Amino acid sequence: MASEDDEFTMLFQDFYPSLCRFLECLLGGRAPLAQDLAQESFLQLHRTAWGTLPPGEARFWLYRVARNLAINEFRKSHTRYRLFDRVVEAMRPAARNPEQEYETRERKTLVLEMLQALPEDQRTALLLREQEQLSYREIGEVMKVSESKVKVDIFRARASLRQRWSKRAKTAGASAG
Amino acid sequence: MNCSFSEKISSLIDGELAAAEAREVERHLLTCAECELVRADFLSLRSQIAGFETSLQPAIQNRELQKILSRGEPVPVRGLRWGWATPAIAFATLLVFVAIGFVLYQRSSNTDPEKLVVQVPSPTPSPTIEKRDEPVPEESPKEPKTPERAPSTPSAPKKPLVREPRPGEQFAINNEPPLVTDPAPSTAPERVRSADTQTLTAIHFEKSETLLVAFRNVRLNTREAAGEVAHERKRAQQLVMQNMILRRAADANGDVQTSSLLENLEPILLDIANLPDKPDSNAVRTIRERVERKNIVPLLQVNSAALARALDD
Repeated sequence: MASEDDEFTMLFQDFYPSLCRFLECLLGGRAPLAQDLAQESFLQLHRTAWGTLPPGEARFWLYRVARNLAINEFRKSHTRYRLFDRVVEAMRPAARNPEQEYETRERKTLVLEMLQALPEDQRTALLLREQEQLSYREIGEVMKVSESKVKVDIFRARASLRQRWSKRAKTAGASAG
Repeated sequence: MNCSFSEKISSLIDGELAAAEAREVERHLLTCAECELVRADFLSLRSQIAGFETSLQPAIQNRELQKILSRGEPVPVRGLRWGWATPAIAFATLLVFVAIGFVLYQRSSNTDPEKLVVQVPSPTPSPTIEKRDEPVPEESPKEPKTPERAPSTPSAPKKPLVREPRPGEQFAINNEPPLVTDPAPSTAPERVRSADTQTLTAIHFEKSETLLVAFRNVRLNTREAAGEVAHERKRAQQLVMQNMILRRAADANGDVQTSSLLENLEPILLDIANLPDKPDSNAVRTIRERVERKNIVPLLQVNSAALARALDD
């Protein structure tokens, strides 16, 4: 039992931060909700599937469950957590280096805005590829779709983001000029 | 991106091309400036997305791990902290639902006479006003607690027209543009109460959905199955009574869709609530199959989302 818990702890330490990051990007930067859903995914894994999954499958299982929970959140009322998220954001301790913090926040906001413009399946596929470095086959396993769909989704997501990026750069250039 | 190689560049930077194909694309990149630019942009996007930093704090991470591992009691679902007060809160919730159900039931039975009057095929407003005024003050103080007798109280000539009024008809008539001259005082509280019921129903759907998803994921092939099911059983016991009350309220409001979903949900909740301490795997599997067959979980998701949207509006 102790070894099972040790294994679970290792898995948690390895993947909890990346699962939080994945969910945060998927949910448009709602960090508290992302952490809640990541916790819930691990909780479900511990309660239901831990020990029954083949070796190496737990990671995919986690991302699949986390994505489903996030999709449920999209469907549910979007307003419920917004206020709570704002409160948490307001209560966050001030940055040690405000300039650096500002830059980081700006960059994060930009990435999140661009990602939010993508359809959910393209966003998920791209995040799993770029952040988690999963292969197309593994992404297909998480999303329960074919490899060819993953390939097309990722390409479309990149093409769309590239287009937005260049539009944005042009607009910024025009306003500066 | 007019070049036909664009899509392959995406696969190339992901290492998903076969060696021969990758070499071909690499050769193409040497001669096509547009594709080279595409690759540079894709890689730049990659670094932006991969460099995204989570707001997670290590202290929170360790706390969450401890919560999950020390699961003597169920870890709360998304921010709801129950703790020691679970039975008290459950009991209080039950009381609230019973009170709401009682008020709704009493109100619907008290208003029966006026609905019967409205069902009389007379489009002119004047008779309805007269007949409305008559029974309400007489009936309500006399027999507020005998709802079954209320439909039989109207005067004799109307009896042949009387049939058991269906809740849907009552609701539709109540919501029609009023024929009477003083609609203002009665319509405002009606809307408020309807929104409350919607909120409760949406919350109930969400809770039921969470329960059914958890039940679907319960392990069966280990000795721990009974312990795990005990939690779901407890939740189901809490939800059954709410389900009955909300179904009755949906019936009273003529909300056929909600009522039908709650009706389908009820036997499943009852089955889970009545599982023994050490349930047979087959019993659990049978319930799961019923949940799948009836497609309850997606229906709950769709309906709770629809109710939440309606409330947002």
